[in-house]
Amino acid sequence: MSRQNSVMIMLGLWLMLAVVPASAAPQRLVADLSQNNVEITSSYHGTELLLFGAFEGSDGDDVVLLVSGPQIRLAQRRSDKVAGIWVNVETNIWENAPSFYYVFSTRPLAEIATPDTLRAARIGARSLPLEFTRQGGAHNGHEQSAKATTANAATIASADMIGGLIRNMQDMGLWAEKTAAVTLQRNMLFRATLDLPKNVPPGNYEVRVVHFRDGDVLSEEMTGMKIKKAGLSALIYNFAHDYSAFYGLFAIVFAVCSGWLAAVAFRRK
Amino acid sequence: MYIYLPIAEVSMHIGIIIGLGGGVGFLSGLFGVGGGFLMTPLLIFFGIPPAVAVSTEANQIVASSVSGVLAHMRRGNVDFKMGGILMLGGVIGSSLGVVLFSFLRSIGQIDLVIKLSYVVFLGIIGALMLAESLRTIMRSRKPGGTRGKLHQHNWLHGLPFKMRFRRSKLYISAILPLAIGAFVGVLAAIMGVGGGFIMVPAMIYLLGMPTSVVVGTSLFQIIFVTANVTLLQSIQTQTVDFVLAGLLLFGAVIGAQFGSRASSVLRGEQLRGLLALLVLAVCVKIGYDLVVRPEDLLSVELLK
Repeated sequence: MSRQNSVMIMLGLWLMLAVVPASAAPQRLVADLSQNNVEITSSYHGTELLLFGAFEGSDGDDVVLLVSGPQIRLAQRRSDKVAGIWVNVETNIWENAPSFYYVFSTRPLAEIATPDTLRAARIGARSLPLEFTRQGGAHNGHEQSAKATTANAATIASADMIGGLIRNMQDMGLWAEKTAAVTLQRNMLFRATLDLPKNVPPGNYEVRVVHFRDGDVLSEEMTGMKIKKAGLSALIYNFAHDYSAFYGLFAIVFAVCSGWLAAVAFRRK
Repeated sequence: MYIYLPIAEVSMHIGIIIGLGGGVGFLSGLFGVGGGFLMTPLLIFFGIPPAVAVSTEANQIVASSVSGVLAHMRRGNVDFKMGGILMLGGVIGSSLGVVLFSFLRSIGQIDLVIKLSYVVFLGIIGALMLAESLRTIMRSRKPGGTRGKLHQHNWLHGLPFKMRFRRSKLYISAILPLAIGAFVGVLAAIMGVGGGFIMVPAMIYLLGMPTSVVVGTSLFQIIFVTANVTLLQSIQTQTVDFVLAGLLLFGAVIGAQFGSRASSVLRGEQLRGLLALLVLAVCVKIGYDLVVRPEDLLSVELLK
């Protein structure tokens, strides 16, 4: 479905732009998604969306697309060898972390702008405004807390932990940095394919588009999408959370009945 | 065909789930065990969060124990009085276990404790079973071996609150089965097992119950212990995935039928020997994971 539709949408946008004279207004940027509502049903196993839009570009311009999911807390653990076995010896909490963070760009971020510019524009995992708490552990008894970006958190969190956080989130498929993933057409249209993983966290998503020229932000645009459980899986999830005692009793009754049925069904043979 | 598991929040191939149920069901039918000690580590291996694996497996064991206990009840092989005392202990123990589980999870040590429990208890039980079955096999080859007494009397029989258990032909203190029930209940809640593999030897060797009533009575009390874990985990952590449990169960029911048919091909001590090897294999695999350096020393867990 999405391929055909997206071709139509692209065509429409292209025509629209073609009619408007290029010099009509200051920098304009429009962005949209092939789907603004993604439903996680029982048959969900990841899905593909198209991120697309139009901008007024010139040769050498860059476009960066950022997709971020609802904020959560992350517990980062470090394991070490204790008495011959590997044990978690340290826990650190990262707050205000996006549960999902995909960055698409036309080129590697380092080639698009300087680290300072990227940080100011909040682009890339190293520019996230995370809050870091060292939660005890083997070495420090006392807690340390500080507001920090992943970049300047280096004062309290070692570079190793920041690198580890990004690596772990990427391994789980929840964070990604995809360079050369935004395709530009005639410096007017841009598009990127967003692969939502099978473990995508439900919630409200923010999609940001940033247009770069000569290493500086020229304009930016924001849109959003919603990912939610639907159908039977939503029903079960809500039942389990809103009426948890009934859910537990139901699960027990269900198990007792099916166990009893199984015993009866196979006795005749 | 993939199915999105609403509580585990991952999608898994339906064939893998039913296949897992079938495979473990076959082994549980073959050996007459619940199979939780195989299923829970396998679910974790296939990417189900440990907390969901443990709670969901408890839910599944409710069903397999119900279907198992019915056959034993028909033959009168359940000591309800003893089962009741064990159950009382089990409900207390598993309630503590659920609380302990949440606490360990909050401090990030639940994986370690689950793995250590598996290594320690599977190691002990596996080694004991292997030794016992080897002894039986050896003895059956040279005839004329002497049979020992059914059970020895020791200090455990001097405890107060003595009760008479007619079906088990015992007159012992109620404290003992209560304590055993509680201990196994804690383990059941933490390890995501029914605990039959510890309960059965404990009933034979510590309580001195006749082997004919041991399995039925153990299954009877497991129903209540795992039902308790299912209920408490549902209320406290919302980690019971009954879609996953139902699919596993579907496979397990069919697998168990083939397993119990296959079991008539082998002799009792051979079966126990094979089961011992299986138990030890799981123990060694999990133990190996504990001592080998993890690929990444850092890990991240998503909190709510």
